[in-house]
Amino acid sequence: MDKYILAIESSCDETSVSIIKNGCEEISTVVLSQMDIHANFGGVVPEIASRNHVKNITLVIEEALKKANMTMNDIDAVAVTYGPGLIGSLLVGLIAAKTLAYAYNKPLVPVHHIAGHIYANNLVKPLEFPLISLVVSGGHTDLIYMKEDYSFERLGGTLDDAVGEAYDKVARVLGIDYPGGPIVDKLAHTGKDTYDLPLPLNDNSYDFSFSGLKSAVINKIHNEKQRGNYIIVENMCTSFQNRVVEILVKKTMKALKEKNVKNLIVAGGVAANNGLRERLTIECEKEGIELTVPEIKYCTDNAAMIGAAGYYAYKLGRRADLELNAKANDKLY
Amino acid sequence: MKYLFLDTSTTNLVVAIVIDGKLSYLKNEPCGQSMSIRLMPVIDEALNNCNVKIEELDKIFVCNGPGSFTGIRIGLTFAKTLAWALSIPVVPISTLEALASGNASMALINARRGYVFAGGYNDLLEPLYDDRYVLLSEINTDLPFVSYDELEVNTNIPKIDVLKIIAKHENDKGINPHLLNPVYLKQTEAEEKLNG
Repeated sequence: MDKYILAIESSCDETSVSIIKNGCEEISTVVLSQMDIHANFGGVVPEIASRNHVKNITLVIEEALKKANMTMNDIDAVAVTYGPGLIGSLLVGLIAAKTLAYAYNKPLVPVHHIAGHIYANNLVKPLEFPLISLVVSGGHTDLIYMKEDYSFERLGGTLDDAVGEAYDKVARVLGIDYPGGPIVDKLAHTGKDTYDLPLPLNDNSYDFSFSGLKSAVINKIHNEKQRGNYIIVENMCTSFQNRVVEILVKKTMKALKEKNVKNLIVAGGVAANNGLRERLTIECEKEGIELTVPEIKYCTDNAAMIGAAGYYAYKLGRRADLELNAKANDKLY
Repeated sequence: MKYLFLDTSTTNLVVAIVIDGKLSYLKNEPCGQSMSIRLMPVIDEALNNCNVKIEELDKIFVCNGPGSFTGIRIGLTFAKTLAWALSIPVVPISTLEALASGNASMALINARRGYVFAGGYNDLLEPLYDDRYVLLSEINTDLPFVSYDELEVNTNIPKIDVLKIIAKHENDKGINPHLLNPVYLKQTEAEEKLNG
């Protein structure tokens, strides 16, 4: 029997609702992005994000059902991102989901945001196990090993800034408007690797650290300015991006080798980064590894991925009760 | 008629069910940070205690602020989602009016750094001092203060008179749930900085 999940995602600055069939087919998705609002402030302002979520939440739910030509009676379960993310933002989606599940007497399925990013790939083609997933976004940098559906082993992750966060911060010191990550990626393709920057946390662990690299960029800019030199922005972008990509690719390939895994999926907003995609494509071809990267629309935050993950959590019998709370940080399990 | 009354915008979670003009259930529990955990179980308990099915509710009365930004959003997200789901009217009530509903008084909610959200109401719940964000030291009033918060003035604990509130607002038209929004009475700090 077909199962339809209504999924809600509000962990950062996108209010999104999707209806997903059997964990792999997108029936409808609505994403209301607040990016233009937060651009005025040079980054996401949590309180403003929360205020916009509460303003939009029922409109987005209604629109998703309308687009699907369905009513809540056609829905088998309500899935929701309970964390990690901005607590005030998460709470709006969570309370709406709890209310819907309660009012319509539907099961409530809690979904971890990172599980969602990984399962975004299930909307492209079925996941093949075992796999390694590199999750890279403005809020996350994680290496995850999965031996089967909905089994997550976190091998490592960032100890400080998420990779997308480092991109946006470097963009800002280079005078590029928020969100600057995609522009840094673009400029990196036109520049040369002329700046001497360190390869961050180049060790045997699966952890990452990007705040040191970010500081190195800031210091370099400062020093060059003091010497009266101009910064060649595109060269700085190339140098920065090369270090980031090198360490991400190095540790990802190490994980694939050590776990003897032939499937790699990349997820999260930074999966859209061309420098990263190009390097991974080359390395994976060399090693005979199947690389899957979702379409751009599934890379950024959306409820479709929560609906895909939610279906598998639902099938496993994961349920939340009425006390379900939002969690800013929570282990993926 | 079966009504649900709800306030999540202070330190206390308040849930009431009123059936045909009678108070059938009232809970007022200090909740602090666990508002999002407690809200639904208390709603469930309220409906069960009164033998009311959720789809039998005729109207929702919900406090829409001012108060704890996160707290208001919890109650309002619940109220607007439920009102949308059941296609029933939702009536927003000033949180300060609810706090002052026991006796004529000036209701206060701590807004930090010497500021409070303040609103004064008479025994008929008519506003004597419009809801505002103000320095506590600048309030000039003969009304007694009521508040759940520890403040630098003498305050009484609010006695929320749900029946009085509902009697006054029973015939309010209610608003489209999509348009139900918190009354914050204060910009975010980021906006204050941006707007000078």
